[in-house]
Amino acid sequence: MREPQLVVENTTKPQGVNDARSNINGLLVAFLLAVFSQPSLDGIAGAEDSPRVVMPNHHRAFFQKYCLDCHDAQSAEGNVDLETLSFDLGTLQSAEQWQKILNALNSGEMPPEDERQVTDEDKTAFLETLSKQLVAARRLLADTGGQITMRRLNRREYENSIEALLGIKVDAGDLPDDANPGGFDTAGGSLFFSSDQFEQYLKLARTALDQAIVTSPKPKVQTRRIEVEDESNRRVQRLYRYHEKGFERWKEWQASGGKSPTEFGFADDNEAAFRKLGWDRNGADFAHYLAREKTQHGALLTVNEPNPQVGLVIPDDAPPGQYRIRARIGVLGDPDPSRTFVEIGFRGERIDSSIDLIACRKVNAPINDPEIVEVLVDIPILKKPLTVDVGVNTGKRVDIGERVIALRQRMPNVFKTGFALRRDSIAKTGANIEPALWVDWVEWEGPMIQQWPPASTQAIFFDDADRAKDADYARAIIERFAKRAFRIKDADPEFVDRLTAMCSSEMDSGKRFEEAIKLPLSLVLASPGFLYLREPASDPLPRDLSGEELAVRLSYFLWSSPPDDELLAAARAGDLTTAAGLARQTSRLLDDERAMEFVSGFTHQWLQMERLDFFQFNPKLYPEFDASVKLAARQEVYATIGNLIRSQGAIGELLESDTILINDLLADYYGISDVHGPAFREVTVPDGMPRGGLLGMAAILAMGSDGERSSPVERGAWVMRKLLHDPPPPAPANVPQLSRLAGESLPARQLLEAHMEESQCAQCHRKIDPIGYGLEHFNAVGLWRETEQVMVRRKAKKYPIDDAGTLPDGTEFQGFFELRDRIAEREAVFARGFVENLIEYALGRPYGFTDQDLSDAILTHGEQNGRTLSAYLHALVQSKAFQQK
Amino acid sequence: MRRRRFLRSSSALITLPFLESLGFQRFAAAAPVVAPPKRMIFLGFGWGVTRESWFPDVTTTGADYDLPKGLAPLQRHKKDFSIIQGLENQFSNEAHWGSTFYLTGANRYAVPGQSFSNSISADQVAAEQLGKDTRYTSVQLCGADSDGHGPGQSLAWNRQGKPVAGWNNPVAAFHRLFSDDSTPLEQRQAMLKQRRSVLDAVLIEARSVRRGLSKADTEKLSEYFQSIRDIETRIAKEEQWLDVPKKQAAHPIDEPRGEIEGYQEVKVMYDLLVAALQVDATRVITYRQPGGTTFLQSLGATLSGHNMSHYAPGMRQEVSELRDRKQSELLAGLIDKLKATKEADGTSLFDHVSLSYGSNINSIHYLTNCPTLVAGGGAGIKLGQHLVKADGTPLCNLWLTLLQGIGLDVPSHGDSQGVIKELVNA
Repeated sequence: MREPQLVVENTTKPQGVNDARSNINGLLVAFLLAVFSQPSLDGIAGAEDSPRVVMPNHHRAFFQKYCLDCHDAQSAEGNVDLETLSFDLGTLQSAEQWQKILNALNSGEMPPEDERQVTDEDKTAFLETLSKQLVAARRLLADTGGQITMRRLNRREYENSIEALLGIKVDAGDLPDDANPGGFDTAGGSLFFSSDQFEQYLKLARTALDQAIVTSPKPKVQTRRIEVEDESNRRVQRLYRYHEKGFERWKEWQASGGKSPTEFGFADDNEAAFRKLGWDRNGADFAHYLAREKTQHGALLTVNEPNPQVGLVIPDDAPPGQYRIRARIGVLGDPDPSRTFVEIGFRGERIDSSIDLIACRKVNAPINDPEIVEVLVDIPILKKPLTVDVGVNTGKRVDIGERVIALRQRMPNVFKTGFALRRDSIAKTGANIEPALWVDWVEWEGPMIQQWPPASTQAIFFDDADRAKDADYARAIIERFAKRAFRIKDADPEFVDRLTAMCSSEMDSGKRFEEAIKLPLSLVLASPGFLYLREPASDPLPRDLSGEELAVRLSYFLWSSPPDDELLAAARAGDLTTAAGLARQTSRLLDDERAMEFVSGFTHQWLQMERLDFFQFNPKLYPEFDASVKLAARQEVYATIGNLIRSQGAIGELLESDTILINDLLADYYGISDVHGPAFREVTVPDGMPRGGLLGMAAILAMGSDGERSSPVERGAWVMRKLLHDPPPPAPANVPQLSRLAGESLPARQLLEAHMEESQCAQCHRKIDPIGYGLEHFNAVGLWRETEQVMVRRKAKKYPIDDAGTLPDGTEFQGFFELRDRIAEREAVFARGFVENLIEYALGRPYGFTDQDLSDAILTHGEQNGRTLSAYLHALVQSKAFQQK
Repeated sequence: MRRRRFLRSSSALITLPFLESLGFQRFAAAAPVVAPPKRMIFLGFGWGVTRESWFPDVTTTGADYDLPKGLAPLQRHKKDFSIIQGLENQFSNEAHWGSTFYLTGANRYAVPGQSFSNSISADQVAAEQLGKDTRYTSVQLCGADSDGHGPGQSLAWNRQGKPVAGWNNPVAAFHRLFSDDSTPLEQRQAMLKQRRSVLDAVLIEARSVRRGLSKADTEKLSEYFQSIRDIETRIAKEEQWLDVPKKQAAHPIDEPRGEIEGYQEVKVMYDLLVAALQVDATRVITYRQPGGTTFLQSLGATLSGHNMSHYAPGMRQEVSELRDRKQSELLAGLIDKLKATKEADGTSLFDHVSLSYGSNINSIHYLTNCPTLVAGGGAGIKLGQHLVKADGTPLCNLWLTLLQGIGLDVPSHGDSQGVIKELVNA
């Protein structure tokens, strides 16, 4: 996955390093007592040091009333005896039995129809407790007792580690997905290794080494300017002639005296009709395009045909690396400001629509005084452009892929939508939508080289001027490289012997030294020393980490990358074993831009932002939520959290805030003026505008929809999981689905109120849905709306919005602002949820009951230090759990 | 952002042989009649079906039943398959995992201290024995889109309960199955030798890493060792097959090209699957086919797989039913192909294959009565039947029936309690 560049203005405030450890010393000495005092862990009881999950005893009455007639110890129908069943859910066997009870009630299988039925009230109460306790029991049973399993690098870490080592960006997208059900991609226990993977690692390493080891002379930096009218006009001309010829044929046929289309020579009736339609739809428009003054020099970017993109190809002989792409662009006339953005990306298979977005830039300059738009693009490992057949119309094959850069006016990334926009405009006005942007020329310059030979080559072939290229030198290179790759652990000497021999035998087969060394080095990158973050330890655990091990853990936590030289030096000097030294390095890492690796990796998973990619947002209903806005909306979340960490912002800012972090595109989307440029910066929220805090962010709100309609259920459940730290149990299996009202045109709220009719549904939805109602003024793409529009069978109906609701504890609110206030008052539970997730992510194992004392200590430290995000991060790093294997 | 999949097009055309197993070909002169080998296909489609219109009426069992509209495109093959109702994996509670435990029947929480565990899948049990004489012990195909399938890298899980990787790109699958390496034999032998020495070398390092690890970490690293062992086995096999060309002459199959997703992707994979069995590249194939978002998009719907799966009367149910029909249409095409492919003795591939088709999810959030269709003559089961088993019958009973039917000595599988007697021909 290519993550387009995120530009953040530097809002970092230098800050004094606080000695975090001294503040929490003593707090880390805690017993499990906390487990028993947590209100959210109702039903968890225990003696001494082992927590237990029990079904509260008063629920025996439920069995008595409804079940024991058949399922007492004596009859035990169907082998189910509920009389002697243990109310302690903390064993696998017992959890399984209770799961079956839950399933039988949820599915309506029990009690049988001819027996006494459970009242709604009883059922709701019983199911609610049981589903919650089962979640707790599963967690208890999965508790690793604090043990951290050695972990394989996940895809993000792998890419970053290769880049740190070789300076090369590889694409690990073909490696198996690390997604971990309900957890983070840092959980060692859930990161598997399969045989195909080994070979993929070898191959990736080889590709990276081919690029990192360079013996050729320094490539020339080239600049090529392309006058875009040549290609554009040729293409439009060709299309025009195609339609013109088709129309002439059609006219001939018309004049042919009643011949059927096939007799005349068309393939079928359709072809005849298409020839005419093609001309009607395109003829005049294409001719108009070609005749315009502005297409004689430069090209106009049109919505769909005739000229949806201009492009440039970075040729095969230009090496991979960073390139500067420039375009001279001006705004034509006075279009709607939301249209004056140019999108730059890799060209996809459809020249009339698809683009793999790199950047979106506002154009301000008028056509008579154009401006230069410039972006930096990484052209990855040599990949030839693919030539694809784009169909009969164009009659030509085009180049696509990662060496083909295309520019277009911002528009929905769906072919059908662009097509429909143009078609409708032609039907209505006789002409396509007037273009908003004119491009004079495009240009590429590169590769941008800082150093030659690249630092990676120099690091591998150290002291190469003084050395003979023989086995001794090979051995030295391999040893040194392996030590860096293995994060300053030495490779096994026998392994080095083998690799050295391999290099020699490669040379014997005629390869040059620089070529021959690649095979052994690629093996280093496919061996467990590199692929696993290893912390050797003999049982019994725990033991303290060494300074160097701690450096590795710290940098993979905060950078998802290996430690840099400074961190390693600090480790070697013993700095990391002092609280102050460790805090200093933590602050330095957090201030470094690599901390965004943590921010995006953690946040994406913590807030379950993968949902943003689950479905296509219907471009007909929401043309404004295009690829550029979706990307910016996602980046808003990351930028906000990154900024809070760097600027010592408090966690409460995520719940409610007077400022937001946006760029020009999002400002346009939210309706805020005077924000210029693509960098994210802090902007004060205008009075009365429903933004500020996660609940006002387009990405979060859009995730709570299905791409068509807003979903109070998704939003409500998300608020409970992420903000209120009161996750509803997972969607149960076999619950009868409600469909009484389906297909009727009703507002979402009315549809959902049917949930209250079935106690299996009501047990959770009575809490979930009413939160979501409070966000109903936001449509599926997070824009404010006054009414809810419902489309059923192509008929649109509008309904007023009732956004009054309640929180699970019964607190009432009227609408978004009150909802946000009420949630902001619950900052403490939000912080707890955040900290538990942080522990899970940082330690690479599920959060367990045994972590209660750790989270309490971190929260207390946060409490005493302004509840800043960085205080929580520091406290976690300072904790014993983080420093022990 | 999901990277668009660009498939490199070329004019490569691979021709396929008449069906002749390696054994047949090698010993043709000495042994005039060699029975065609038994083969197994397991197809899994994630998001279940539309329960209202996919399952036949439970009151009409045996041979005399009508196909409901979800299965209607299979009408011409009605005598060639059986539908079984009432099967389920008793431990499944994950309403969105259509394939994780489909062939294993495992309990996610069976291992204390872990939040996930699985056990060997039926196909891998079969592969241990059926895979000995073929180039690939088993082949796992996947859709590029794993929507609705749950955790896993294919339908297959190994003896250790770890995911087995699949090929999720039709072009790559095509080349692995059918393209011959044009490199001279000697050079290929040298390359195999080098791969061996690569494995030997990393094993040295891996053993050194293993020293001093805690028990849990040693166990984790065992996955690495296992994968090296798997590759060693694969290399040994490749060596054995080095001088056996992959292709001979007959009906040609085109290299897949263009942007293939959804419906087309399934069609292409089905073609590859038949071709793979035809050339005896393997005898056990699973396919975790795309049935979610990309499949729906290829049918012109804009719904996500999850959204569709929560259908209710109206547009979502229409899409769900369209999905059923299209999948049945594809399956009917697959059965056509299997029947049209002749074995050397004049019988068809269909006569010797055991094919199953289904999902761990019934529909929506229902995990009981898993949709189940079995076809082919390989396992000797009764076809043309509609069986309704008692609710809660283990799905693993079916896997056991098929494994035993194909001639394997397997006493049980997963949570099986015995074979499905009604399926077994007397």
